[in-house]
Amino acid sequence: MMLIAGTVPIRDMPLSIGEVTAGEEVLFVNGESIPCTQGTGAMVSAALATTTYLGLDAPHTLLAGDVGEGTGSRELYQYLIDHIAEISPTVLALHYWLPEMSQTRQLCEAVKKCRRRPLMIADAASMYSAKGAGLAEEFDIFTPDATEIAFLADPDATHPAYIARHLFETDIAQAPELARVAYKNRGAAKLLLVKGATDYIIRDGEVLAMVTEPDVPPLEAIGGTGDAITGLVAALVYAEMEPYEAAVIAAKANRMAGKYARATPATRVKHIVDQFPAVFRDNLCQWSGVCFLEGGN
Amino acid sequence: MAFLKRQQKVKFEGGGLVLFQEVPQAMLAEKVLKSAGYTVRLVAPPPELRKGCDLAVEINLVEQAGIERLLKERDTAYVSINPIRPGTAPLLEIVKVTDFGDWVMVKAGNMKITYEKRRGIIVNVSGGGCPDIPYLHAELVDKRLDEAPRPKDVGFTLCALNLERALEECLTLYAEGDKT
Repeated sequence: MMLIAGTVPIRDMPLSIGEVTAGEEVLFVNGESIPCTQGTGAMVSAALATTTYLGLDAPHTLLAGDVGEGTGSRELYQYLIDHIAEISPTVLALHYWLPEMSQTRQLCEAVKKCRRRPLMIADAASMYSAKGAGLAEEFDIFTPDATEIAFLADPDATHPAYIARHLFETDIAQAPELARVAYKNRGAAKLLLVKGATDYIIRDGEVLAMVTEPDVPPLEAIGGTGDAITGLVAALVYAEMEPYEAAVIAAKANRMAGKYARATPATRVKHIVDQFPAVFRDNLCQWSGVCFLEGGN
Repeated sequence: MAFLKRQQKVKFEGGGLVLFQEVPQAMLAEKVLKSAGYTVRLVAPPPELRKGCDLAVEINLVEQAGIERLLKERDTAYVSINPIRPGTAPLLEIVKVTDFGDWVMVKAGNMKITYEKRRGIIVNVSGGGCPDIPYLHAELVDKRLDEAPRPKDVGFTLCALNLERALEECLTLYAEGDKT
């Protein structure tokens, strides 16, 4: 099972766990409707589009409403701490929540009790808390953007809003050097997919791949495209791709979806996600060397 | 034996300090914040951060926006909110503007707002990772810059403060009639 955990911007939505299904404009989990907008909704939508194309089980999601007060976030942490061992997912992807380092430590301890260690992915504030707690190396994949890689490189920072002044340069071209520092300071996951005008796939401080085409600059403005990349990576490793290959294909697929969507800065992320089946149909065979028929048939 | 299984107390790691002029202000702030559900504790500030009294309230720095708002609403005086670690500065000081032709994207720290030049309508909000950002995305998108809710008024986190800075810059650019 792939489990995606994160908050959704619905005030007072109770903690909800279950398999996700797609509606016309929204996602459904346990009767709750979740918007396919920036944040966990975009990530789940991208993962679901991928698993559907590949004929895999839909992602399971653990979601809670939280508009910033932190209550839903704390419920998510506690549920995972209490139940992750019995759930024992194959892939555990953590996303938006209020970063809380001590609960992140408890969660990483609880994960050790899983029957088999899940492949661990963190993006957004779950990446902040993992790094802030000094547990980045426990994770298999982080998916930072240009600002967040500077945060990972700062050994003492707990949030990208406050970092050492000498790291203020957040041009994506600096990503390899910042990643090298992040690895040296043990602030990086085993694999980094740094999202930007150039996407970098980096392991142990070494740039393994750069993805630059197609070049679709408006993607940076569209809220949720980074979340969608993380959803793609999660689904592709769930399909048993190696993390490196999953990261490269996710970066390519997201760019290609932007091209298919004729993205402008006003495009919504759902329109990008809606392109993924066509992107996979046209490109996945060539990119991966493994040719799937849509729906796994 | 059950009484030996008492849950281990979890150490609080906040990363931020609210500084005060006087001790009673610090004690009142702790009470106000705890009653609102925030996890906080009274601590002695390090000498390099000491601005008034020798008592401070440690907070989860990420929650700065909501805490600032609550203390102001309750008329609880404080000097400043600082990261515990010296030498750190807020990234929102770095503002970048990207011209996309019909649209302008303003980036402050880790947050971006894109608006349509002609009508001043917010068309996208991106960046960030805290739970109020998807909510603010929904609240801001499709609104005019001058009619959108202010992230500092409805957000709770450091990401919201960066978004506020981006919105301020968007308003300035749009008001200047620059629209370029």
